[in-house]
Amino acid sequence: MLRIIQQIIIIFLLILSLAALPMIIEVNTAENKLEWNIEKLPKIYGSFISEVSKGSLGSYQLGTQVRDIEQDIGDNFFTSLKVMLIGVNASIAISLLFGIFLSRFRLTKIFNFFINILAAIPDFIIIIMSMILAVKIYRWTGIRVISLRPDAGALNTWFPTLLVAIAPTLYLFKLIAVKYFQTSSEDYIRTAVAKGMSLNYINFQHVYKNIEPFITAELVKVISLAIGNLFIIEYILNVSGITKFIFQSNEIQPIAIGLFSMLLISAIVYVSVRLVFYLFKRGFIYE
Amino acid sequence: MNKLIKLNYSLYIGIICVSILLFLCIFGPMMASHSLTETLETQYTDGKVISPPMEPFETVDYPLGTDKWGYDLLSMILHGIRYTVFIALAITLIKMIVGTVLGLYIGQWKRTPGWMVAFENAWSYVPLFLILYFFMRPINFNSQLETSTLLGYFIVIASIISIPSIVSSVRLKTVELNKSVYIEAAKTLGASNNRLIWRHIFPQLKETILVMFILEIVYVITIMGQLALVNIFVGGTLRRFDPLIYLSVTKELSGLVGQARLNIYGNTHILIVPLIVLLFTTISFSLLANGLKNRFQSNYARTPWIRIGQVPRMKPVRKKFGEKRKLWPPRGESIAILALFLVFIGAGTYVYLTKDSDVGVKNYSKAAYDIHLAMDENGLFDTEATIQVKNKSEDDWDELVFYFIPNVFTEGHSFDSVKGNATVKVKEIEVDGEKADYSLKKDTLKIALADNMKGKSKHTVKVAYEFTPPEQGVRFSKEKDNYYLAQWYPMLATYQNGKWNKEDYSDGIETYHVGFSDYKVTYKLPEGYSFISSAEKDPKPEANEGSVKIKKIRDFFIAVTKDMDIHEATANDGVKIRLFTKIDHDKNIDESLKLAKDALSFYQEKIGAYPHKQLDIILDNGLFMEYPGIVTINPYIQDSNFYRLSIVHEIAHQYFYGVVANDQYNEGWVDEGITEFATSLYFYIAENQWEGQAFATPKYRMEWIREAGLGRQYSNVPVHELKDTGYIYGQPAVELLKMMKSKYQLNGDDVKEVSMQFLSDYYHHFMYKEVDTSEFIRFTKDYFLVPSGYFNGWLNK
Repeated sequence: MLRIIQQIIIIFLLILSLAALPMIIEVNTAENKLEWNIEKLPKIYGSFISEVSKGSLGSYQLGTQVRDIEQDIGDNFFTSLKVMLIGVNASIAISLLFGIFLSRFRLTKIFNFFINILAAIPDFIIIIMSMILAVKIYRWTGIRVISLRPDAGALNTWFPTLLVAIAPTLYLFKLIAVKYFQTSSEDYIRTAVAKGMSLNYINFQHVYKNIEPFITAELVKVISLAIGNLFIIEYILNVSGITKFIFQSNEIQPIAIGLFSMLLISAIVYVSVRLVFYLFKRGFIYE
Repeated sequence: MNKLIKLNYSLYIGIICVSILLFLCIFGPMMASHSLTETLETQYTDGKVISPPMEPFETVDYPLGTDKWGYDLLSMILHGIRYTVFIALAITLIKMIVGTVLGLYIGQWKRTPGWMVAFENAWSYVPLFLILYFFMRPINFNSQLETSTLLGYFIVIASIISIPSIVSSVRLKTVELNKSVYIEAAKTLGASNNRLIWRHIFPQLKETILVMFILEIVYVITIMGQLALVNIFVGGTLRRFDPLIYLSVTKELSGLVGQARLNIYGNTHILIVPLIVLLFTTISFSLLANGLKNRFQSNYARTPWIRIGQVPRMKPVRKKFGEKRKLWPPRGESIAILALFLVFIGAGTYVYLTKDSDVGVKNYSKAAYDIHLAMDENGLFDTEATIQVKNKSEDDWDELVFYFIPNVFTEGHSFDSVKGNATVKVKEIEVDGEKADYSLKKDTLKIALADNMKGKSKHTVKVAYEFTPPEQGVRFSKEKDNYYLAQWYPMLATYQNGKWNKEDYSDGIETYHVGFSDYKVTYKLPEGYSFISSAEKDPKPEANEGSVKIKKIRDFFIAVTKDMDIHEATANDGVKIRLFTKIDHDKNIDESLKLAKDALSFYQEKIGAYPHKQLDIILDNGLFMEYPGIVTINPYIQDSNFYRLSIVHEIAHQYFYGVVANDQYNEGWVDEGITEFATSLYFYIAENQWEGQAFATPKYRMEWIREAGLGRQYSNVPVHELKDTGYIYGQPAVELLKMMKSKYQLNGDDVKEVSMQFLSDYYHHFMYKEVDTSEFIRFTKDYFLVPSGYFNGWLNK
C-alpha cells in the first residue's frame, strides 16, 4: 500500500515537472546557451495550484482564442478513453488467443508469421505506412477508409484504435509465446500430459494460470506503450483526444491537466483489464 | 535440407545488414554524388522538361529522385544515416554501461529500497519520447544553439531518461541469479562483492545484455522517429513559414521522414524512400538481436512437453568444455566473418580512393616521359624521348597525337615575336619497338598505330630528334648564351570526350593542353652551362651532366644558362626560392626576391601548401611565363609596377595552372582569370592596398575594352574567337570580386577573408584535376548558394 502511495506521489511530481519543462527551458540568444529558469518554478506551480484550488481547470489557448479546459475536456477525454479501452483489451485478447489457446494450429502459423514481420517494424513506421496505404486505397477504389476530420465519427476513430492496438499486441504476443514455450517444458506439464489430460485443459488450467501473473506484471508496460503511441496517432490522424491539450500549448495548465487525464485513462484501462481477467478466471478456471 | 532449415538466418542476414549500415555510416558522405546544397535545376533536355521532384529510378544523376526543391534524396540519406546510427549507438552505449553497472550493484543489496522500486514503476508509465519532447521543444526549433550542442543535449537527456528501465531489468536479473546455489557457494568460499558481480553474475548476464543492447538501439531509433513525427528532428528543426514547413538540419533519417510527412498525399516517394532506409536500419538491428537471441536460446532451451506453435529449431553452438579454440585455419563461420571483414575493408578503400573521381574533367590519355638530352657547343640539342602512353578510355586508338611545338618556329614561320628560326630534325619514331609512320604538320605530331596495336592500352613511343631553339623566341628561345626550353619535347595531347583534344599553335596565349605526367630527364651540357628545370632538386650550377626526376607535373621546363647570379631566400615550409639574374638591368634584386618570398608565403598560408620544394625565378629577356616550379620574368621592361605584378601573378600560377589544370585553349580564363584574381588579392590583403589600386589591372583591362568598343564577350571562349585578352584575364577577376562583395556574408564577416577561403577551398577541391566552366560553376554556385544563371553575365554555359 505504501508503495502504491509512493508511486502515485512520484508520478504526480513527474507530471508536474514535465509540464513545467517547456516554461523553464530557454535558449539564451545573446550567449547561445541553454538556460534553466528554475526560479520561475514557484510562480508556475503557484498559479497552477491556485487555479485548481478555485475548482476550475483553467484555460488554454487555441489559436487566438482562449477557451476553458473544463468545457472541452469531456469529449476529448472520452474519445481517448474509448480508443485506449478498446485497443488495449483487444490486443490482450488477441495475443492470449493466438499465443496460447490457438497456438498449436496451422493457421496460427500464418498469424505468427505476420506478427513476426510486423514486430520487426517500429510502431511509428507502421503508422506512417498504414496511412500511405489508406490514401492509396482511397485513390484506387474511392472508398474512404479513414477520415482525418475530427467530426467524422467512427471513420475518424476506428483506425486510431487499430493502430493503438498494434504495439501492445506485438509486445504481448512475443512475451506470451516465449513464456508459453518456457512453461510448456516444465515438469508439471509433463505430469499433466502423462495423466492424459487434453491439450485445451492443460492450456486453461495449467499454462494460462502460470502465464497470467507475467501479463499482469507487464500490464503497466503494455498500457504505457499504448499511451505512447496514442500521442503520435492522435497527433497525426487529427483525432481530437486528450493529447490536443498537450501538443497545442506551452503553458502548464493544459499540459498538466492533459497528462493527469492520461494517467486517469491508464488507470481505468488497467482496472478494466484486471476486471476482465478476474471474470475470465471466475468463468473458466478452477481455483 | 534439414540443415538448411536449421540455419540461423536472422543472425547471418542481420550481421550482413548491420555491416552494410556501418559501411554507409562511415563512407556514406564520400559516396554521395551531390552536396546537401546542390539542387536539380529545372531544365529542358532531349525534348523533356526535367524538374523537381524527380521520381526515383528515372535519371542516373538522381537515382532515388529528388524532393520538391530538387535536393538529391540519395545524397541526403548518405549524409544523414551516420547521425541516425551513431546517435543511437552513443545513447545506447551510455545507458547500457551506466544502467548495467548500477543494476548489478543495486541487485547485490540485501533489500532494494521501496522508493526506488516506486520510482522505477512510475518512470515506466511515462512514454520516454514525451519527456524528450518537452525538453527539446523549447530549444529545437530554429535553434540558436550549434547543431553539435543540440546533439549533445539530445544524447545526454535520452541516455539519462532511459537508464532507469535498464537498471530495473538488470537489477531484477541480478536478484534472480543471486538466489542460485553457485552464488551461495561462492559467498561461502569468501568471494567479495566485486568478485561475485564480475566473475559470477556478469558472465551469466552478458548474452542477455548483448541482445538487450542491440534491441535498445532499435528502441532509440524508434524514439527518434516518434519525435520526428511531432517535428522534433534530432540536431535541430528549421521552421519556415508561408507555407509552414519543417526541415531537418542534419538530414538524419527520421528527420527526413518527418519533414516529408505531408507527402502521404502526393509525391509519396519523398516520404517512402527515407522511410524504407529507416526501416532497413531498424530491421537490420532487430534481425541481429533476434539472431543472437535464437542462438543463445537454442543453447539453453529445453524441449517442450506439449505441442506448441513456436518452437525454435536452431542448432545449438556450444563451446565444449576443455576444448581449445583453433584460430587457424578458419572454418565455417570464422571464414565468413573474415570474408565480410575483407570485403568491408576493400570496399572502403575503393570508396575512399575514388571519392573525388567525379570532380573535374576527365582526360583519358596518360603519359610518362623519359628523355635524354645532349647539347653540343653550337647549341644543338640531340634528344631521345621515350614516352609511355596509356589509353584510359574505352576506345581503340588508331593514332597518337602529340604537340611538337618546336616545329612551328622552323624557317618561314609567321610569328613576328620570334626573331630567329628553330631547326628541327626528326630522326626516327618507334612505337613498341617497331618503326612507325608519322606526320608532322605545324605543331601536330600524329603517330599512326599499326593494326595489331590498336586495341592495346599501353604503348612505348620513342622519338629521336635534334633541335635548336630560335633566337629571341617565345618561351622556346635562345637569349644570348642562355637557352630556354619550354614545350621542347613531344607532349601527348589530352584525349577527351572520345577524341584527341589538340588545337593549333598560335601566338600569344598558351594553346597547349596536357595532362599531369611523370618526368625523368637525363642531360649532358657543354662546360660552363648550368641546368635549371622544373625538377625538385636541380644539380649544383656548373654541373653539366646528370639526371633529374619529378612526378605529376604539367610540363617540364629547362633553362640552360651561363654566368647567371643566384640569389636565394626561403619561404614557408622550407620552400627554397632561387632567383637567377644578370646585373645589366635596373630592377632591385633584393626587392624582387623579397616580393617573391612574400607572395609565395602569403599563398602558402592562405591557399595551401606549395606543390614543390623549390621555386626558381629566372630574370631574363623574354615572356613573363609560368612553368611548374619555375617562372620567367623579364626585368628589361620599363613599367616597374607591371614587373612587380608579374612576379606575383606567375607565382599564383603555380597553384592555378600548376596544380589546378584547365584546357588553356578552350578554357583559358580558368587559370588566367583566377590567377589574376589571386594576384590582386595579394596586393589587396598582404600589401593592404585599397581596392581600386589592388584591382587596377583587371579594371584597367576592362576599361580598355570599353574604350576600344569591343563590346561584350564571354570569358569562356576558345583562343581563336577571343577578341581581347582582357576577357580572360580581367573580366573573371572583376566578376569574382563583385560576387565576393555581394555574397561574402554567407561564409564569413569579411570580403578579404571569404575570398581567400574560396580560393583555398577551390584549390583543394580541384587539386590535380582539370576544371572547365561547368565544373567551376558547379563548385561556385554550391559555395555561395547561387543559381547557375548567376554567372550568365560573363560565362556561357
